[in-house]
Amino acid sequence: MPDAVIRLRNTFAGDLGTALFSVLGLAGFAYVVYQAVLSPRALFATMVVGVTDGAIYALIALGYTMVYGIIELINFAHGDIFTLGAFVALPLLAAFGFKHDAKFSATVAVVLVIVTVIVMIIIGGVNVAIERIAYRPLRNAPRLAPLITAIGMSFIVEGAMYLWRGPVSLRFPDLLPQHIYRFGPVEFGFKDAFVVVAALLLVISLSLFIGRTKLGKAMRATAQDRDASYLMGIDINRTIAATFFIGAALAAAGGMIYGLFINTVRFDLGFSAGLVAFTAAVFGGIGNIEGAALGGLLIGIIRAMNERYFSGSWSDVVIFSILIMVLVFRPTGLLGMRVPEK
Amino acid sequence: MRTDRFGRVAAVAAFGVVAMACGGSSGGTTTSGSKGTISIGVDLPESGAAASSGIPTLNGVKFAVQKAGGSVDGWTLTVENRDDAVGGTYNADKGVQNVTDLINTKTVVAMVGPFNSAVGKAEIPVTNPAGLTMISPSNTNPCLTKDLPTCSFHPQDLRKGQPNNYFRVVATDDLQGPAMADYAYNTLGVKTIGILDEKTVYGAGIADAFQAQFKKDGGTALRDSYDPKTTNTWKSYLNKFKDGGATAIYVGGTDDQKACQPRAEMKALGIGAWPYLGGDGIETGQCIDDAAESALGVSATTAGADAGQIPAAAATITDFKKAFPDPNAYGAYTMSAYDAANIEIQAIDRALKAGKDPSKINDFRAAVRDEVAKTSNYAGVLGSTTFDKNGDTSAKIISVYAVKQETADRVKVGDLTCGKAGGSNANLCFDWVKQFNFGG
Repeated sequence: MPDAVIRLRNTFAGDLGTALFSVLGLAGFAYVVYQAVLSPRALFATMVVGVTDGAIYALIALGYTMVYGIIELINFAHGDIFTLGAFVALPLLAAFGFKHDAKFSATVAVVLVIVTVIVMIIIGGVNVAIERIAYRPLRNAPRLAPLITAIGMSFIVEGAMYLWRGPVSLRFPDLLPQHIYRFGPVEFGFKDAFVVVAALLLVISLSLFIGRTKLGKAMRATAQDRDASYLMGIDINRTIAATFFIGAALAAAGGMIYGLFINTVRFDLGFSAGLVAFTAAVFGGIGNIEGAALGGLLIGIIRAMNERYFSGSWSDVVIFSILIMVLVFRPTGLLGMRVPEK
Repeated sequence: MRTDRFGRVAAVAAFGVVAMACGGSSGGTTTSGSKGTISIGVDLPESGAAASSGIPTLNGVKFAVQKAGGSVDGWTLTVENRDDAVGGTYNADKGVQNVTDLINTKTVVAMVGPFNSAVGKAEIPVTNPAGLTMISPSNTNPCLTKDLPTCSFHPQDLRKGQPNNYFRVVATDDLQGPAMADYAYNTLGVKTIGILDEKTVYGAGIADAFQAQFKKDGGTALRDSYDPKTTNTWKSYLNKFKDGGATAIYVGGTDDQKACQPRAEMKALGIGAWPYLGGDGIETGQCIDDAAESALGVSATTAGADAGQIPAAAATITDFKKAFPDPNAYGAYTMSAYDAANIEIQAIDRALKAGKDPSKINDFRAAVRDEVAKTSNYAGVLGSTTFDKNGDTSAKIISVYAVKQETADRVKVGDLTCGKAGGSNANLCFDWVKQFNFGG
């Protein structure tokens, strides 16, 4: 019996699995093409919604995947770190005189860049502090211990935001241009383009940073084999702290982008956003930067397609059904896992 | 079900009013020639942020007692007041403590309250065995009196087979959906509508009721639900409704489940001028803020009549304002409480005239309860009241409110639900438009 199960699993994980998976993928693609023929305008509008939504999930997913890739910890507080980014941005924007919606201008652009940088630094610092307090002392403890401290940190960060601003939805000032571009059936707003371009720039720079810099190399080495890296003279603590800093800075930028795009934030936003982003990271292959970005995008697109063409009442059912199928056929995610070797 | 009405009179500086409330329970000084003292109990949230709900309502009861000359048939009539707010919010446990205390106060023959349905649900099982009449001026949760499929608790379980002692003078939430459907189809001329709900008992229930009535009226409904935890953008839903030919949106939900956030996204899709409709869950200042620059065009229902719009109520309201000159003394439920107290005073009067003796408190409470149940065509300020066997009023009035631009002076009066003070929508408020009477 177990033999049969193992054989079945091997069959699915092997060529047959790949074949089935490809068929499913093709079926999905065929459906998209069918809708494109039916109404290109509607399909493009749906894609814009999906890609922008997915781009934000992708930015959160990067932090999850980086931390998991290097110390195999699911940093549950990461979604709340993302929300904290938006929360910290609010008083900063107010300090620059942008308390309410304002018309876009060069000043606004400069202020947004400055505020984003400040927020990224603050939130990066917060995440490094969380790592120092709640994760580092438990680095060699049984796996469950840091998992629980991570859940604890999530509640603490969320609770702090609740105490700070209360249960209400906060209006994030609408500062970006409202311009809408139209090219035939193609129609998208400046804000849509902003989200996608900003997310793309951040993912590319992260990818370059990890691939081309010395610290990036140290991170990759630590992820591969922590002890060997240590023996090679890499400062493990500094490298891991840097990972937390960069992951949080990206999430903070994501929080800013989310605020500017959706214009409403609430203290408990991070719980669900974090859950979806973590799913995206596993979807794409945990530990894999490009995988996390791809996973986020796909989840956003699947959600938008389902809401547009089927029924939003079971969006999460559809997303997780697809996730289960992907993981059954490709347990390592779409682009493969990258985690420490044992 | 959403039945908390604190948003309505919120943002009113409450502390002055609280100070006034401290003298709430007037003493039982027996005037010369009095046969003794009988009291009407009151249980409402009266402190902190909730004071803006409870105090004006309490004033309605006080006004009724004052109008009765502080006596019935030679008995001195007083108000025994209790506050069920803890930390500025209504609290069901505190409510239970209060009604237990009222039951142990041997002069209390009936009570007005509570304000919030959740408190009512906790109190009925305590007051029912004691035969203590409760008339709520503001509970709109239908499950307190009606056993609907959407109910998570049942009226018969609260009463355990004993005679009903719970009544209310407001309509129930299950009529809100049908009222808005008629308003959308007949008044606004909407023929196809997109309906969203947020997958809660309240949201799906009110959306179902809306949809059924809208279809009955002859309209076409497109329906979908969203998960408020994982949904942050509604553009795909809205595009779907737009392509399906809808010209308005009905949302079954509450502002805290993001029910007003889709509104803010409509402008960019070129449908910002569509009417955006909902139940009392969106008749809040938070909704106006969430709808951002598209708040105009949002309309919502509430269960109950707006006394300010009933011509027959004008004289009584003028009298009230003379007796209670403080601008914060009058609220949305003052006149409901006034009617509720008067119904009880009349029932007490009938019980006394039938020879019942208030010193035998348990028998007298039961007699008052039976007399209240018999209330028929009572001509109150809000209309004619006849209680059915469940304790519901025959005056089934639902009011429709729409967001309008108000002057700063109008907002200052404090009786409208407006956007956050100091915010960009501070002068946008829900203003009365129309009422529906589902009564016979």
